[in-house]
Amino acid sequence: MRHLNSFFLLLLFSSTVQAQISSDSIQKLDEVVLSDVKLKRYAKGYKITVLSDSLLKKNGISLTDILRFNSNIYFKENGYGMVSSPSFRGTNASQTAVIWNGININSQLTGQTDFNTVSTTNFNSIDIRSGGGSVQYGSGAIGGSIHLNNLLNFSKHFDHTVKLSYGSYDTKDVSYLSSFSNEKLSMNIGLKYIDSKNDYKYLNTDQRNKNGAFNNGSINANLGYILSDKDVLKLYHQSFVGEREFSGTLSSPSLAKYEDKNFRTMLEWSHIGNYASSKLKVAHLQEHFKYFGNKTTNNFTFGKVNTYVINYTTDIDVLDNLKLKPIVAYNYFEGSGSSFGKPNRNEFSSTVLLQYQPNKAWQYGFNLRQDVTSGFSSPLLFSFDVAYEVSENYKLKLNGSKNYRVPTFNDLYWQPGGNLNLDPETSYQIDLGQEIKYKSANLILNAFYIKTTDLIQWTPTSSGFWSPQNIAETQNYGAEATMEFCYKLKAHDFLIQGNYAYTVSENLETNNQLIYVPYHKANINLAYAHKRLSLFFQHLFTGEVYTTTENISGPFYSVDPYQVNNFGASYKVLKTNTQQIDLSLKVNNLFNTAYENVAFRPMPDRNFNFQIQYKF
Amino acid sequence: MKKIILSIFAMSLFIVSCSSDDDATPSEPLGAYEDGIIVSGEGGPSSISFISNDLMTTENEIYFNVNNEATGVYLQSIGFNDDKAYIVVDAGTITVVNRYTFEKLGTISTGLTLPRFIAFDGNTAYVSDWADPNDTTDDYIAVVDLSTNSVTSTIPVSEGPEQVLEESGKIYVSHKGGYGVNNVISVINISNNLLETITVNDVPDEMFIDESGNLLVLSSGANQSWLTPPVETAASITRIDLSDNSIISNLEFATGEHPGLMTYDDGIAYYILNNKVYTLEDNATSLPTSPLFDITTGYAYGLSVRDNQLFVTDGNFTANSTLLIYDISTGTETNSFSVAIGASKIYFNE
Repeated sequence: MRHLNSFFLLLLFSSTVQAQISSDSIQKLDEVVLSDVKLKRYAKGYKITVLSDSLLKKNGISLTDILRFNSNIYFKENGYGMVSSPSFRGTNASQTAVIWNGININSQLTGQTDFNTVSTTNFNSIDIRSGGGSVQYGSGAIGGSIHLNNLLNFSKHFDHTVKLSYGSYDTKDVSYLSSFSNEKLSMNIGLKYIDSKNDYKYLNTDQRNKNGAFNNGSINANLGYILSDKDVLKLYHQSFVGEREFSGTLSSPSLAKYEDKNFRTMLEWSHIGNYASSKLKVAHLQEHFKYFGNKTTNNFTFGKVNTYVINYTTDIDVLDNLKLKPIVAYNYFEGSGSSFGKPNRNEFSSTVLLQYQPNKAWQYGFNLRQDVTSGFSSPLLFSFDVAYEVSENYKLKLNGSKNYRVPTFNDLYWQPGGNLNLDPETSYQIDLGQEIKYKSANLILNAFYIKTTDLIQWTPTSSGFWSPQNIAETQNYGAEATMEFCYKLKAHDFLIQGNYAYTVSENLETNNQLIYVPYHKANINLAYAHKRLSLFFQHLFTGEVYTTTENISGPFYSVDPYQVNNFGASYKVLKTNTQQIDLSLKVNNLFNTAYENVAFRPMPDRNFNFQIQYKF
Repeated sequence: MKKIILSIFAMSLFIVSCSSDDDATPSEPLGAYEDGIIVSGEGGPSSISFISNDLMTTENEIYFNVNNEATGVYLQSIGFNDDKAYIVVDAGTITVVNRYTFEKLGTISTGLTLPRFIAFDGNTAYVSDWADPNDTTDDYIAVVDLSTNSVTSTIPVSEGPEQVLEESGKIYVSHKGGYGVNNVISVINISNNLLETITVNDVPDEMFIDESGNLLVLSSGANQSWLTPPVETAASITRIDLSDNSIISNLEFATGEHPGLMTYDDGIAYYILNNKVYTLEDNATSLPTSPLFDITTGYAYGLSVRDNQLFVTDGNFTANSTLLIYDISTGTETNSFSVAIGASKIYFNE
């Protein structure tokens, strides 16, 4: 353990380390540094995209913006800053899991995460894991999962970052990050507050985005303490308190308002042994919303869920090349709300992950999970993955899995309509990936197929209200390409990075494309850096999406394709060993393009953001 | 020269004959959407469909096509008065259009919160409004001056006012109950705004004046299976004598039967129950035991009758709905049309 600290340093400051980790000692470190070991160690056959710290900082405000400009994931956003739900490989919003330090944080009420209620401040990395992950991450990891990770840096340091930004629509953003360690204790804290009138102009009309203001504050605080050279105790916490007006549509004003409160706390104890390391996690998650149909009154509806998690896992080195990770977990959910009484749910899960590396070129993973949930029966889930390094430049990856999504509290208990006889949605998927690497160029190609049965859909009933049923069957298939190329010419650095996805997602009864899934989505990022100056340009193309199940084009049936571009420049005004000041300017929607992401809900016109960042 | 004079003479003859006898020659069409069936769809997005009376011309999204804007979330109902139509949208607006061209003439929004239906008395309109749907005590009828398109006063009423109907100087309001359950008909005397109530079965909705001038009300009955214990009350068709608001007859349905759609024409009420069409004549003393004919819908969501034809919308909320036309005498489906998403109301624009 003597070299522990230097390894931490290595982990934290090497940007390519994630792809390279293979040696045993570093794997042990994973167990201490990462709360989510299975993401690194038991996913060799999966495509994992890492969005680095610097990228997160560049994109600023919301997780929606970061992902729509830097990944293949498509977002359906009800106007800027409003409810935002992802479609990952053509799946619906409740089929993408969001994982916070290894724990699934999708809402128990809606089954999904609103990506505009996740503050990206103080996450060291955001990882995108493509492909089914229910064995590892539970309900909802059907298309893929998004991982928000906090790392604790145990090398001796004490630094601060203050960021102030001001932008169009009276948008104010203040954040403060601080990180400290004395080699035994490590802690970091991030505070952020953002406030925006968000009253952007609807291009080509004389209207503005009325009733779209939002503000939110968040705290991320993480603490790690090395008890002995075999034991580490860690505490993670995240709070998010947000208030949003819900803007109307082009034709209808709105007076609605929505308040979110999310609290997440996790205590983790790791014990590191010679052949086995164990980890005990205890977590409490709370989600709480209030919806005001009319913000001028005090009448609201609400929903609240407390989730309690106990999770115990061991990482066992059975042989040098055979690793085993059993996990047992117990979750207890208790909800209360205006429309569904006070339901609760018990969930017990047992999982076994197996990783086998017969030689340097081949890696196999095989994983099983069985849940026992009160109220309905869950299927036995499995997944397997294979990675084969054909050569230094070429790697093949294959994974397949059976995944599921459990009915939400809304599906089961909503009054009226809630249906206690629902089954979990189940899904099979297979994903073949190729990674081609040549010097500083990377190309990742994936092809996937997903078939989902027993999809839960709300439909009107003869009783006059809507009720969910396990009725639909869908299949999704498509291809993704991700490429990255850096080039250095003397003191000039160039980077080009791009993503393209072709996605077919169809209802098997009608063979029609599902609503709000574009066939084509692409983005390109260009960056240039020279000495203290850096510039970047982002381009996003989203193809036409249908808004009704009939697949007709036109203003009532589809949303037009759009292209939107951003430009940013940053300059280091001051740079010393201990201090750094960056000034940056970002222009969003550079060409003032009128576009909608959801029908009749225009997105912002050209807007500016000015930021000053001081590190010391 | 002679020819010109002759033709001018002929022209003047034509003009004279035109103005002297309107009935003898076809009148100029008042707009593209005259003489047809108007179907309103709740959405979303909400829209309005048109089908000409000869069933030869159909057009969806007519309001959007004319005005290049959508009707809003959600389109609840349309009222017709003189040459205007009033499009009532839940989000708190009524859009005033020319009923024949569907060109937008104005909007009424100040003073409206969650409007449902509109009725007319001369130059005044009465609009039922739930206000805040979570507040059971703030519901009202908005009184609208149609010359200025503004709400001039409000009349507080009990929870969940739904359909409104004007008859002989009084406004009748069925209180479906909004998000809850109510069981009254409000009667507003237009001359002095005095309010009376008539108690009927739970969830009164559709209202018609029968051939004898009585008020016919369909109440769906409560069916709150999700409550513990579940609450279920009987649906009924109630006939009310408007001279003294007394109940002439109250025909109750069996347990488990909760019809939601009724229409009325020429002495006969038509209602739908579990994809079957039943009829009730004015002098009936009991509910019919056998249906007139069966229909095939996934979700019957709108009902109207004209002449010998029954119009039913099969509501679809994720794609276009279907308007089905049935021949009443044979019970056969004669036509079907793709109409607005969430098609809920069928009107005849004569």
